[in-house]
Amino acid sequence: MKINITYPQPGKEQALRRHFIAALRWPFLFAAFICPVINAVVGGKAWSAVVVWSLWMVWSGAVSPSLVEYNRISQSIKSIVNACVLLILIDWLLAPGWAMETVPIVCFSGLAASGVLFFTDLQRQKQNMFPMMLLTVGSLLGSVIGLSVWHEETRWAMAVMGAVAFSLLVGCVATLGPDFLRDVKKRFHTK
Amino acid sequence: MKQKKKISMSPYDLYLHTLSTPELTALSSFWEEVDSHCTLSKKEKLRLRADYESALLAFAALGVPVGAALARMGVRHLGGFYARPAVLWYPLDDAAKIYPLSMKQGQMAVFRLSVYFKEDVVPALLQMALTFTIKRFPSFATTVKKGFFWHYLDTAKRRFVIEPDTGYPCRPLKVGRSGSQSFRVMYFHKRVSVEFFHILTDGTGGMVFLKALTTEYLRLLGVELAEPGSVPDLDAVSDAEETANEFDRADQTEKSAGFMEKSALQMSGSLSRARPYRVLHFKMDSDALKAAAKGKSSTVTSYLLSQLFLAGRYATDELQGEMSIQVPVNMRKFYPSKTVRNFAMYCGVRLPLQRITKAEDILPEISRQLEEKASRQAMSEMMNATRKMVGALRFIPLFIKAPAARMVYGFLGDKIFSNTLSNLGVVQLPAPLDGYIDSMDFVLGTALTNRAGCSLVTFGHTATLSIAKMTADPSFEERLYDLLQADGIDITVEGSAPCED
Repeated sequence: MKINITYPQPGKEQALRRHFIAALRWPFLFAAFICPVINAVVGGKAWSAVVVWSLWMVWSGAVSPSLVEYNRISQSIKSIVNACVLLILIDWLLAPGWAMETVPIVCFSGLAASGVLFFTDLQRQKQNMFPMMLLTVGSLLGSVIGLSVWHEETRWAMAVMGAVAFSLLVGCVATLGPDFLRDVKKRFHTK
Repeated sequence: MKQKKKISMSPYDLYLHTLSTPELTALSSFWEEVDSHCTLSKKEKLRLRADYESALLAFAALGVPVGAALARMGVRHLGGFYARPAVLWYPLDDAAKIYPLSMKQGQMAVFRLSVYFKEDVVPALLQMALTFTIKRFPSFATTVKKGFFWHYLDTAKRRFVIEPDTGYPCRPLKVGRSGSQSFRVMYFHKRVSVEFFHILTDGTGGMVFLKALTTEYLRLLGVELAEPGSVPDLDAVSDAEETANEFDRADQTEKSAGFMEKSALQMSGSLSRARPYRVLHFKMDSDALKAAAKGKSSTVTSYLLSQLFLAGRYATDELQGEMSIQVPVNMRKFYPSKTVRNFAMYCGVRLPLQRITKAEDILPEISRQLEEKASRQAMSEMMNATRKMVGALRFIPLFIKAPAARMVYGFLGDKIFSNTLSNLGVVQLPAPLDGYIDSMDFVLGTALTNRAGCSLVTFGHTATLSIAKMTADPSFEERLYDLLQADGIDITVEGSAPCED
């Protein structure tokens, strides 16, 4: 059977990326498996949870990023949420006592940065608002709950987080008007 | 000594110098009209203008006077698409919902339709053809977005682009970036190919788009239709039915056929990391193919299924079990519809390995199963099952659904089938367009465990059977070639080189 080649020869970079991901998969999986095992055998604090989450952060952020909604807003929100989870894990499992202040600071700083990214490229980014809105609503709720149950001196961070989230929400509603409602309808459709 | 600065002129500037004053005036007012029909971002506007300039140069090279060129690219062909903000969005149809849930790095449901012209493609005119065609397909002028419960298609107002065909066919599309396309239009010598993410459309819908693009491209080249109205008017308003999710129209049946079946045998070659490993096209004379099928008192689909079973049997080392070939069924034949969204179901023709001996022996069983399993009743049951499943999952958040679906899909995948045969049927284009086209082909996207996926499309006197291979083992295609040759069908084999694995 004689085959007449009628397609161009694919570039090497396509195969390289595939090989790169395939080569990294096993070291990542091995590390994610062996760390909890060592941790369980040696005992002590659950440091392996922090390692596993960090591995996940690197894998999902750099090696195998999101296939849908891979834009500057969604990626910055994903990084903020992942970083917050990592901080909470470190505080909870390894060195307690500081996350209640640090996590809100990371959140409001991240929200402010996302707001800048959003409003400086509004026409293109308005289709990408949803992840930012989810974090905004989450931060608002976190702030309300935190301020109601937390009575330490470090409440300022919670208050600022709530204020930034509220301002961002109002800013988006005011700027986008009917488009904001349309986006909410799209994002929560069940059809 | 002072060096004189060299003023370099672009080909378009040089072209302008060849125009007369009335032509320059006409061109100037043309640009004003284009500007008034485009409210895209400044960058996109500049690119659109560059497309027009390249097209003007291409027309000049073809010897088309500037007046005729401007008339062919008149702003009425832009319509209001580039002047209005994006407001439309589309929930995914019931069949499409699985595609974004199951995709992962390097694996995406992509299929490809190609048309082979008799002359080399003029890229600048193909780009303009796409610019004018896309407005008629609003559900294609979209980008995939993630909702809380389901993915959806959001309108993307941008300049949709063509690209040279450089990579391997049916490779995943990058759909994640803001406003990114869920299809790609490519050119290579005489071939124009469109690769679609299955989320947008099925083979039939994709073919409607390719025919429209082809018609528009040929119109720009100056080919006028003998009978206007024989192809959809690209400047007409889109009909809601063309973007409808037609799964709601299923007959209410008491039974809902499930999707679960026992695993089928797979061909024995090891799976390649690159998907597809290679693509092959068996180009055959359609009359000879029909005659071979008729000689065995069967339809073309049944006949080819019998040959695929025989070739598959040859390509496996297994001695026990069943082989099953998936046959997609176009639901438009039961529920007439103009939709260009997904509207296809599938059935599986299944045979025990020991029974696969000679075409004559298995053809009656293949025809019986096809008649029974691809009937309106059976397909309606499957549509109902799909609707029920979608309904049951509708309130489960995507972050729970997606990993579960990926796991189930990864576990089950396409293991219940050994192969696929999708027959798009005979594609027709009105005169004189058909005289400019040599043939067409249709390549199925990547499979998970199946070593091959086959598809057939006929244009004019050429039937093209395409095989997307997922293994380096050539046993299947070589046997199939021999079987078809033995039935008196002459075959020209074309395809891609094996992929670097």
